[in-house]
Order: sequence, then C-alpha cells, then structure tokens
Amino acid sequence: MDADSDVALDILITNVVCVFRTRCHLNLRKIALEGANVIYKRDVGKVLMKLRKPRITATIWSSGKIICTGATSEEEAKFGARRLARSLQKLGFQVIFTDFKVVNVLAVCNMPFEIRLPEFTKNNRPHASYEPELHPAVCYRIKSLRATLQIFSTGSITVTGPNVKAVATAVEQIYPFVFEITT
Amino acid sequence: MAYLNPVLWETKVFQSKATEDFFRNSIQSPLFTLQLPHNLHQTLQSSTASLVIPAGRTLPSFTTAELGTSNSSANFTFPGYSIHVPAGVTLQTASGHLYKVSVPIMVTPTSGRADILQQPIQQVFQQLGQPSVIQTSVPQLNPCCLQATTEKSQRIETVLQQPTILPSEPVDRKYLENATSDTLVYPGNEHKIMPEVLLSHQESSHYVSLPSAVFSPQVSQTNSNVESVLSGSTSMTQNLHGGSLFMSPLGALHQHVTHTQPHILKNRTYGRDSVKQPRNIQEPSNILVSKKDSNCQVDLSIQVTDDDINEIIQVDGTGDTSSNEEIGNARDVDENEFLGIIDTGDLNVLEEADSISNEDSAANSSDNEDPQVDTVEEDPLNSGDDVSEQDVPDLFDTDNVIVCQYDKIHRSKNKWKFYLKDGVMCFGGRDYVFAKAIGDAEW
Repeated sequence: MDADSDVALDILITNVVCVFRTRCHLNLRKIALEGANVIYKRDVGKVLMKLRKPRITATIWSSGKIICTGATSEEEAKFGARRLARSLQKLGFQVIFTDFKVVNVLAVCNMPFEIRLPEFTKNNRPHASYEPELHPAVCYRIKSLRATLQIFSTGSITVTGPNVKAVATAVEQIYPFVFEITT
Repeated sequence: MAYLNPVLWETKVFQSKATEDFFRNSIQSPLFTLQLPHNLHQTLQSSTASLVIPAGRTLPSFTTAELGTSNSSANFTFPGYSIHVPAGVTLQTASGHLYKVSVPIMVTPTSGRADILQQPIQQVFQQLGQPSVIQTSVPQLNPCCLQATTEKSQRIETVLQQPTILPSEPVDRKYLENATSDTLVYPGNEHKIMPEVLLSHQESSHYVSLPSAVFSPQVSQTNSNVESVLSGSTSMTQNLHGGSLFMSPLGALHQHVTHTQPHILKNRTYGRDSVKQPRNIQEPSNILVSKKDSNCQVDLSIQVTDDDINEIIQVDGTGDTSSNEEIGNARDVDENEFLGIIDTGDLNVLEEADSISNEDSAANSSDNEDPQVDTVEEDPLNSGDDVSEQDVPDLFDTDNVIVCQYDKIHRSKNKWKFYLKDGVMCFGGRDYVFAKAIGDAEW
C-alpha cells in the first residue's frame, strides 16, 4: 500500500533557509572587524557569518535583515538564528529577534525503483514539465502546497517547499503517481 | 566570538615582532642637520661645486646669502647620490652623535628604509653651545607615516601620500624625490648613521620660521584620529602631542590629510612599493593578517578612522518607510531602486518587501505606530538563553602572526586556500620572510 511505502521512505532534509530581522541598523564594517568567523563582501554590501554549532551560514545586511541557511531542521534553524542574533548583540548592536520565518526547506528522497520520465510527464500534464535537453529531471509543481519536486529517472526526488510539513505532504502526494510509472 | 577584543587583529599586527621593525623604522627618518659656521661661508661658496651632485639631480647650492643668518644650517636630502663633505665639518645625526670629519669624505646613501620619501623641511638651527659645531640635517620623511616633532625648533612634516612642495625654502626646494632611502654611510668612520626622528624636545633656539607652509598635520583632531589608527604601534604617537605645533595654512592640507588617512595603514606597510608608486591606493593587494591556527578570519577591510565611519553610506535598506505588517507587499517605488543593489534572489526569498530605515529613531517611531509589531515580536534574547561561548576568545591569543599581502583567498565550503605573497611570518618565536606562501586550512 502506498501508506506503508511512505513510512519506509526516508526524507532527508538537507537545507532549511530562514530569515529574521534585528530591527536595527547594523554596521557591517564593525561586524567584519570584530566578529568571529565572518566574511565581508564589501562589493555587495553583506557580511557572511558562519556558525559551527548548528552549521549555518548567515547573510547579514546593514538594514538588519538576515538570511540564515544551512540548517538541517526547522528547530535548528531557529536555534542558530537566535545564536547569531545573540552574537550580534554581543558585538554591541541593539538586536531584537523578530520576524523569524522559515522560507525554504530542501529535502531529498529516494525511491527504490526507477521512473520512466516521458511517460510520467504525459500522465501528469499540467503539473509536470520535462525538458531533457535542459535538465534531466521532471519538474513537478504542486500549487496548493507551493512545493516543487524534481524527479529523476533513478528514482531520486528533490523537494523544495516553504516548510517541512509541505515537503512531507508533497512526497506523499507524488508517491502514487510515481509508483505506477516504474520501469 | 572576538567581541571581547575589538579589532584584536590590529593590535596583534602592531605588537607582533614581525612588524616591529617595520613600523618603527618607517616612522623614523634620518635626520641630518647641517649647520655651518661663519668661517665656512666663504669656503662653502667656493666648495659649493663639490656639493652639487653631478648625478643629474639638482642639489640647489646654497649660499650664505640665502642662509642669511649667522648660524647657518642647511638641509640636505640625499635621495640617492653622494655628497662630498669637505674636511673640518662636524656632522651630527639626529640621535646626537657627532662626527667630526677630519678628512674629506663622500657621503653615500645606502639603501635602507625603502619607504622614506625626501621632504624638505625648514632650516634648523641648533645651538649646542658650540657655534662651531656643524650639523648636517637631512630630513627624510616617510610619506606614509604621520609624525611630528613638537619642538619649536624643528618641524617635520609627514607626508601621507604625496609630498607637497613647500615653497620659499630655497635650500630644499628641489628635494622631492622618490627614491629608496638613504642611510648615510661614512666610509671614513665606518659608522652607519641610524635614521632616527628627533623626537626629543630640544632646547629652543632661535630658528628661522619659514613663512611657507611647514605643515604639521597634527591638528589635534587629526592627530587623535591618527593615533587611534596607529594605536599601540609606537611611542611616536605619544610624542606627537604637546608642545606648540607649528600651525601653518592647513586648509587644504588638512583635507588632504583626512582623505588620505584611510590609506595610512595600507601605505605604511607597503614598503618600498609606496615610494615607487604613489598611486598605491589603487593597488589590488591588501594587507592580510592571518593567524596560524585553524580558525581563519579573512579580513579585507582597510582601516578607517572614526570620521570615515560616520561617512559610510548605507547602500541597502534605506529610503523606504518601514511597514511593519507582515507580508506587506506595499512596495514603494523607492524600493525598486535598491533591487539592483540587493540581491534579487534574496529579495524573492524575503517575503516582506519593506526595509528598515536608516535611523533608529525612525524605526522606533514606526514601532510605536503599529501595535501589530508587539504581537509578532519574538521573545527577547536572554543572555543565558540559547547562547554558548562558542569560540573561546583565546583562540586569537596567539603570537603566531603573518603579515603579508594576498594574491588570492579562496574558499569552498569549509576548505580555505591562501595564496599569499611578500610577508613575514612569526611562528614559534621565529621570524620567516617569504615572497610566496600557499596555505590550506579547514574551518
């Protein structure tokens, strides 16, 4: 049954992207000079700060908007974002941790079978788009979930969505479609 | 995080043994005061020819008329040629050593400090109680360093970038030469005159104050700025205060100073390059200080004074009213200007279209306007909450320092590659000089 198969599937979250605001102007130069583990990209006007503990990379703008990437779960993303804000606070900025939002979740899933992509595309016309000369995977969009799946002929599927739940739902949704077009 | 030691790397650079010689010597300039007794006037006139350098560079021959006073002193710069000093002349270095020349000697500059630029200074009159004492004074200034003497008798201008010609100094007018500098060698005495800046307060003697701008860039503000830049570098900076600074028409010069201040540090450590290429600001290479442990911090910014910090213009996030509604897609027209600056890819990621205005006051006021903000606001960051001292600040507390220029710094994920050049590495208490260094590190 599909449900049984779903349980067996491992959905690996590889990347969680989130944003938050500090509600204060940040002096990038000061962060670059005094912060630890920073890369100052003066030409584009941002500072990258990397954290070790949750392995995340944060892009910091002087406006106070920060994008945090590299986390492997939503909780970790929030944890890392707070830690980052805390380190900025220690540098002397009046940081307020607001507007935290997970923006993107990237997950990978592996089907135990191969998939015939042209047939799959024909059956799922409006949602699936396949251009083998451009990209070897079928791009399947689920509008309701705002999720995008990239289905490869090997059975590996890459899912991106606004949060982890949407990603999981998307995989569940796609499984029956994919299952019937196995080679 | 290195927040406990702001700009720690900078103090490390200045204090490290790798650069102590560099900064110290770059500030000092060989100072030579030539003071000629009366009785040599005639001799000088006749022997002027011997003092004219045949190397094509004009050493303006000075006459007694120009000197004009009983105790005449002349200032030489020795850009790179030799000077024939007749016998009977006593030369005194800045450090106070007296060398009585018993035989005619040739003073030949040797390549010493490469970053010293010749700079004419006013005539110096030093009475050491012996009118017959002759001192040769050669002002040699580092264009890159700020220095000043606070004596009334002597003013040494520091040229930050380009030396400006001081008018009305007949003797030194032509001395703006870029050259490798010069440590004078007396073949007779086998003494090497160490260039030193006359910092000690010398007894004020009557001096000829030049009407021309002997500019001392130590307007006190600039001085303090410079000091903040050069904090901890040498004891020089402390000597720059006090005393009556010779104020001269500074207007344009002051601006000149401040504008070129951002390049002080850069120029100071440039070595001989700075002399040869006055436009070294535009050189792509920068000074890179890297620590010798696994934690590497790439810091590419140039030291800027406090004034400049205030002048930094925020490029992104400005010019927009901050609307605090979530998913407020009220994009102002102004914001479209910044699309080119802010990464559009990132803008797509950011659902909110607003940007925080530059001033805190505006942000605060906008906060007060929308009560929605309070409901959306997250819990304040507690100090004990989810915070750990991730990086021990001691990680920077190391004596292993590399001061160099970089060709390329490359990073892939957490693998760093360094292609460095022209540097000094202080490692394990020993100094290593390299023309090229390649490093690999993992973060």
